[in-house]
Amino acid sequence: MKTVIIIRYSEIYLKGKNRGFFEKQLERNIEKSLGELQHELHRYSGRYLIENFEEYDAEEILLRLKKVFGIHSMSVAYETASDMNSIFEAAKLVCNETGTFKVETHRGDKKYPLTSVEISATLGGMLLSHFYKLKVDVRNPSFHVYVDVRENGTALVFSEFFEGANGMPVGTAGKGLLLISGGIDSPVAGHMMAKRGMRIECLHFHSYPYTNMQAKEKVIDLAKVLSSYTYGNALYSVSVTHIQEAIHEKCAPQLMVTLLRRFMFRISERFAHRVGAQCLITGESLGQVASQTIEGMTSSNSVVEKLPVLRPLVGFDKNEIIDRSVKIGTYDISILPYEDCCTVFLPDYPAIRPKMEDILKEESKLDVEGLIRQAFESLEKIEL
Amino acid sequence: MIYLDNAATTKPSAVALEKAAEFLSDNYFNPSAPYGAGFALQGQLKKARTAILSHVCDANAYELIFTSCGTESDNTAIFSCCRRGNAVTTAGEHSAVLAGLTELKNRNVIDLRTAGLDEFGRVRVDELLALVDDKTTFVSVMHVNNETGAINDVNAIAKAVKRKNPRVLFHSDGVQAFGKIPFKISPEIDFYSISAHKIGGLKGVGALIKKKSAVLHVFMHGGGQENGRRSGTENVYGIKVLEYAAEEKYAKIRENFARLKDFKDCFLQSLNSEIYTPISSPDASPYIISVSAKGLRGEVLLHMADEKGLIVGAGSACSSNSKRRYSRVVLACGYDEKVADGVLRISFSTDTTKEEVLAAAQILNEIGTELFKKMN
Repeated sequence: MKTVIIIRYSEIYLKGKNRGFFEKQLERNIEKSLGELQHELHRYSGRYLIENFEEYDAEEILLRLKKVFGIHSMSVAYETASDMNSIFEAAKLVCNETGTFKVETHRGDKKYPLTSVEISATLGGMLLSHFYKLKVDVRNPSFHVYVDVRENGTALVFSEFFEGANGMPVGTAGKGLLLISGGIDSPVAGHMMAKRGMRIECLHFHSYPYTNMQAKEKVIDLAKVLSSYTYGNALYSVSVTHIQEAIHEKCAPQLMVTLLRRFMFRISERFAHRVGAQCLITGESLGQVASQTIEGMTSSNSVVEKLPVLRPLVGFDKNEIIDRSVKIGTYDISILPYEDCCTVFLPDYPAIRPKMEDILKEESKLDVEGLIRQAFESLEKIEL
Repeated sequence: MIYLDNAATTKPSAVALEKAAEFLSDNYFNPSAPYGAGFALQGQLKKARTAILSHVCDANAYELIFTSCGTESDNTAIFSCCRRGNAVTTAGEHSAVLAGLTELKNRNVIDLRTAGLDEFGRVRVDELLALVDDKTTFVSVMHVNNETGAINDVNAIAKAVKRKNPRVLFHSDGVQAFGKIPFKISPEIDFYSISAHKIGGLKGVGALIKKKSAVLHVFMHGGGQENGRRSGTENVYGIKVLEYAAEEKYAKIRENFARLKDFKDCFLQSLNSEIYTPISSPDASPYIISVSAKGLRGEVLLHMADEKGLIVGAGSACSSNSKRRYSRVVLACGYDEKVADGVLRISFSTDTTKEEVLAAAQILNEIGTELFKKMN
């Protein structure tokens, strides 16, 4: 008797003729995520089976698979010969000794001598006589025993379903450029777009020497967590220190953030073209901070010429974002107390509803193109 | 590169590394082993112990327990000595002492009393003595403050404490003093912590110097090394490097002290006084100089200096957590947050040269002026 892992996919079911494309991408992603772990991946009747792995790797495999978008659920099952005695031996291993249970059978092998109902009833009887404290409850059992009789003469027996990440396989919905900071929101925004199948490139803006190395390390760590979902392998980083200094020197202090964000968006769009990203992704949430008012968003959006700016968190409350951040494993990193967009130049009272004419007037004092060029000179690729 | 963050750690002494090299390669045996090669190492450890003790105290009245670091030495003293009652310490202590004592306070073992500091970072002795009463079981006063270099006269303080309550166990964290400040431990001091990597030794080696008559409640149980006081196979190589590094420092301790005092004066004179204000007092340890660039951020200056090839320390961090952001010690000296935010720590070693000191002052002046211009 050997242990296998059953993988069921999610929305791909709804796909028609191009289902193969999604399935192949999912398969590639599963392979990427399992990487060096010894295993074999097989497709069978709308599912995948992971076989021939080391038993001690089972937990690790499940943990990794939980991050693969496109997977609906997983089960660890015993694969056994399909005669009732073998099925019973496997069922004993997944069965609790007390409580109520129900057996559910799926019979792929239509030539099998018993029907699925008969298999369930027979196995139920065998388990009842073996575990005297067990009871059957078909309406509200405390656990299930599932039997899947396959056409190849084997059966899979399992009891638990582990929820997958759902969504669509990364790589099936284009590529986006995530503006990533060390905060809570942007990694969650990236995760949400990746969940819909988008590949993610990450761009970070830093203000060294006004911010410290830990702040950068924090963003690298966040990008690493994100890459465990997206299979990204790099983080790009650009310095905006000289831009902040120029704004500080020449422009109205209350517009520091507004003007800086316009630079970030311009740099991002140009960089997106370089890496073939088809949209920008930000972690903005309406009204969360002074720069994320609709006026603030309008101001930064207006410098983006061609690409859509996706803001998956725009309607989320902070608590909702935090919940997601905890779930995906970025929260603990995000709350480390290193400042990332330096507060040295932050005004006491930033403009909450900046007027476009004021913005343009202040911005006209700056050599926008020159500052952007200088920013690109500081571009650094950090391998994750 | 000019390295002036020697209070954080020093470059290992080439002489000490070379002298101890055999204990890294050929002489690798376990000192607890009963065969000749192992047993011989017991002798080497004994030699190291006596040599190190002789630099700072009467080697007959004190014994030495090797540990993994200064923090372990402090914690060993604290967790061994603190009994029900109160413990008295200073606001200037290293977190190795303060966090250990706070842990005991949180476990409701002790009542923790903390004496304040003067403007230079020295403990206010009157205040400290007023906190000591007949329920005091433990007093810990650091010898040299790691941020301001302030020297506490721990011999005199220990004497005064014992006059008030002779049952007190007195500990001093000597990590920034050992090998640097000419000093002998007086009999009133029961425990004294030292660390190897602050004087050209290696990270991962420290020691607790302990009066023989003081009782030690063992913290690390196991194979019974260090006379049962601290189990765990000894880091023979690291210990020998410490022995030789200490030997090197103590051979010229007064000479080094005087030379660095001169460097310190030169450095402070060369520094642009419109930007930098010294926090350290003139009679503080010449190895550590704390200055504040008021209105500027110490950590930003640190990064700018780093880019120019000068490594210094900072008292503050670009942290959004105000507790972590400002140096607790500088605030305790009575300075406001603006001053605390601008603190830089420049710390010398015996390897530091006068040229380096002057060049460092020059770089700090340049970047201070540059940043001041940018911020205003």
